[in-house]
Amino acid sequence: MTELRFHRDLYDGETVDEAIKTFERFATIERAEDDEHWIVRLSADAPPRERRVAGELGNYALGLTIRRSTGAR
Amino acid sequence: MSSSLDGFPEGQVQFDLERGGASVRVDAGLYPLEAIYGAAYVFIDRCFVLLDRADGGAYRVWLSPKKATDEQSVRAMLGELGNELLSCAWRAQIAKESRSIIEAVTARALGGARGAPGLDDLEAFDFSDEAFDDPLGIAMSWEEKYGKKKAEEPKAEAAEPDAEPKP
Repeated sequence: MTELRFHRDLYDGETVDEAIKTFERFATIERAEDDEHWIVRLSADAPPRERRVAGELGNYALGLTIRRSTGAR
Repeated sequence: MSSSLDGFPEGQVQFDLERGGASVRVDAGLYPLEAIYGAAYVFIDRCFVLLDRADGGAYRVWLSPKKATDEQSVRAMLGELGNELLSCAWRAQIAKESRSIIEAVTARALGGARGAPGLDDLEAFDFSDEAFDDPLGIAMSWEEKYGKKKAEEPKAEAAEPDAEPKP
């Protein structure tokens, strides 16, 4: 299982949700949260696939956050 | 298992062989968040990128190359990230300093694009308002300023009949 922690100061929560929706058909995904982070735990059939899905999910959330932050300016 | 990487300042970079990537600590006082976003965005086609907060209010940027995950590739990516961070921070500073100029030029361009004033605008316009004071007569026409004065012409004509004819 891979755990991704998205800090609330740096990631827009809606973009994390959108990334989860986009990638949930490629892995089993659980979501959780603590005071500072949105936490995503995911597992896939094989470690290389899991690494790739986790990485792409993180990139997707980051890309959307950056696009929203620059568009809102 | 993480370790520091040769060639980078001690404590700034942590290399994680198991996860096939490295993280770099970025000082929030030197690099604004928009510069970190800009630099991170450059790498999302080649690396998996994750941002986090570090102790002392700093940021931590995690990079893991998508294809090659050996130390050499990670080192090269981190070097590029450092350069990109500097470039983005400098661009952000220039954008901040010239924001007022850009806004003024844009406002003027958009104002000009509105076209000629309409009848309602002309009706509301105060034509009696003087544009500026002109104590030196700079805005006067040449004729107004240096032309013959009308009052002098009749006087000269009137003087001619009184003049006695010369022998």
